[in-house]
Amino acid sequence: MGPLAQAVAPSHMPIVLRPLLPELILVGTALALMLLDALRPTPDQRPFVLLSLAGVAGAAAATLSLWTWKGPGSVLGGMIAADRFAVYFRLVILAAAALGILLSSYYLDRAGEARGEYYPLLLFATAGMTLITAASDLILIFLALEILSLSLYLLTGFSFRRLASAEASMKYFLLGAFSSAFFLYGIAFAYGATGTTNLAGIATALASRVNGDALALIAVGLLAVGFSFKIAAVPFHMWTPDAYQGAPTCVTAFMSAGTKVAAFGAFLRVFGVAFLPLAHDWRAFMGVLAAISIIVGSVLAIAQTDIKRLLAYSSIAQAGFILVGLSAGTQAGIQSAMFYLAVYAGTVLGAFAVVAIASVRGEEHTALSSYAGLARRRPLLGLALTAFLLSLAGIPPMAGFIAKVSVFSAAVQAGSWPLVLIAVLASVAAAFFYIRVIVLMYMQDPAPEIEGVRIESDPAGWAAVLAPAFLTVVFGILPGLLFGLLRTASVVRF
Amino acid sequence: MTSTEVVFVVLSAVGSIGAFRLVTSKNVVHAALYLVLTLSMVGAAYLVLAAGFLAWVQVLIYVGAIVVLLLFSLMLTKAPIGREALDNQQRGWAALVGAGVLAGLVFLIQNAFGSAPRIQIQPATTSEVGASVFANFVLPFEVVSVLLLAALVGAVVIARRDERP
Repeated sequence: MGPLAQAVAPSHMPIVLRPLLPELILVGTALALMLLDALRPTPDQRPFVLLSLAGVAGAAAATLSLWTWKGPGSVLGGMIAADRFAVYFRLVILAAAALGILLSSYYLDRAGEARGEYYPLLLFATAGMTLITAASDLILIFLALEILSLSLYLLTGFSFRRLASAEASMKYFLLGAFSSAFFLYGIAFAYGATGTTNLAGIATALASRVNGDALALIAVGLLAVGFSFKIAAVPFHMWTPDAYQGAPTCVTAFMSAGTKVAAFGAFLRVFGVAFLPLAHDWRAFMGVLAAISIIVGSVLAIAQTDIKRLLAYSSIAQAGFILVGLSAGTQAGIQSAMFYLAVYAGTVLGAFAVVAIASVRGEEHTALSSYAGLARRRPLLGLALTAFLLSLAGIPPMAGFIAKVSVFSAAVQAGSWPLVLIAVLASVAAAFFYIRVIVLMYMQDPAPEIEGVRIESDPAGWAAVLAPAFLTVVFGILPGLLFGLLRTASVVRF
Repeated sequence: MTSTEVVFVVLSAVGSIGAFRLVTSKNVVHAALYLVLTLSMVGAAYLVLAAGFLAWVQVLIYVGAIVVLLLFSLMLTKAPIGREALDNQQRGWAALVGAGVLAGLVFLIQNAFGSAPRIQIQPATTSEVGASVFANFVLPFEVVSVLLLAALVGAVVIARRDERP
């Protein structure tokens, strides 16, 4: 039944808003923040930080209450899925947002760039991210993608006085607009092939066919390209190093974690639900994307001399590892990708938080050479960064190790052992540049010009470093805590 | 020929003349105004074909928004408006692409709606479209307003360069 048929007989469904409550709270808080900024302009940013955190906490509480949701699987005309899959992704994103807000309050204080629009934009981005993981209609996914992208283009360019920030924002915007066009074109083809934009409807329409037709395959290709831009998979990664380096570090921390989790959430839902009947067609494509992302990301990371760029290339490689889980096309694959995403979000956010604190003020001291002897100057900071780098490299007992093992075993079960072989070899090579930074921190003397720089932090900054570090270790030792949730959360209802 | 067909032919003829003048005009502003003419004729053709909603969307978005945006950007970028620098010497390729698109459209329309129609047309009135938007697609409709609000805040962030302490 296409929209025209629906138009003739509009269904008067009851309006059930509870599965949308987290987004409503986030957008409501953003509006309240803007009003507060307009009515009571104050140089003190603490009320804004506290109100934003309260909004995120409220959204998290509303999300948690959906874990035991007994109502229909999708509400508002099949637009919003009320499944545990969405709950899990929303919780990861909201945790990243809370840490991002804390880190932002630290960073903006030091850099002197605090402005009233920052936290509303961050909450809009968060609302877009959580909405996209719950959306079960391609049109809504597109709109949520635009909300989160638009807010992030602006946040990337928020330090407009720094040329690099403005340039990063422009690059991100142009390439992002380009990828949106791909995505929209993919939606048009999906509609042309199946007569609906609803994910469940697409799955039903495709499942009843014996042969996949050309239109549906073109839709799969275009949608995959659109998502690949957002998750920064090679060859659609060009914007990533510049955007991650140019953006204020607190924005980089938030967007590297949040965007990837959100875009992968929608990616898993669209390909794991709507296009599952075509799985044998797209699995090879995902495998190739995964392999080249891992290889290119790891190789280019070795050549970097700036810690933000190094982490950017590392996040490209990590996208490849998560794609290995998706390319398995199985329940175990989705489950391992979800575990990997939570671990990746915490690790990369914590790593950028360390960068923000070690930069002292704004964007100073991001060259790798500034990290020489960091562990001697600030032992706790050095230890935290070591934990994050070991986790990104996939070395036990960190959570990154369990994450890598689980995606690899899912892929092997699905029979794609050549991909796993490439991924294992690349991750051995990649361990080199992570270890190099650790060696630099522990074994070398600080450069004379950096020796006297005092690194200080406040409780907000420490929270953004230590909470992810704690989780990285805990999930590495007790991965069952997360896998227990994933047993039910990785089942997509619609 | 019925009266509807006569009206349709007249609208198409005027639209085609506008389109031809659009690409041959030596003045960018004149070209933009010919674009208004062509797009309005297309909108009027939709009206004749009983697609009222589509017609008004055509007028609102293409004539009302896109052409105005075009004129504004001409004004703001101080691009040369006169006769010079309008021809980029790519007529051969342009003619080829134009002919290709024309051939493709004629084939597709002939194939879909010709002697053995493959597609059944389901006419939808404006009220039906509205009912669908506000019943089945009410959530995306509301979400668009959040998107626009974020864009508005962003425009303020970019435009306002004064610094508060």
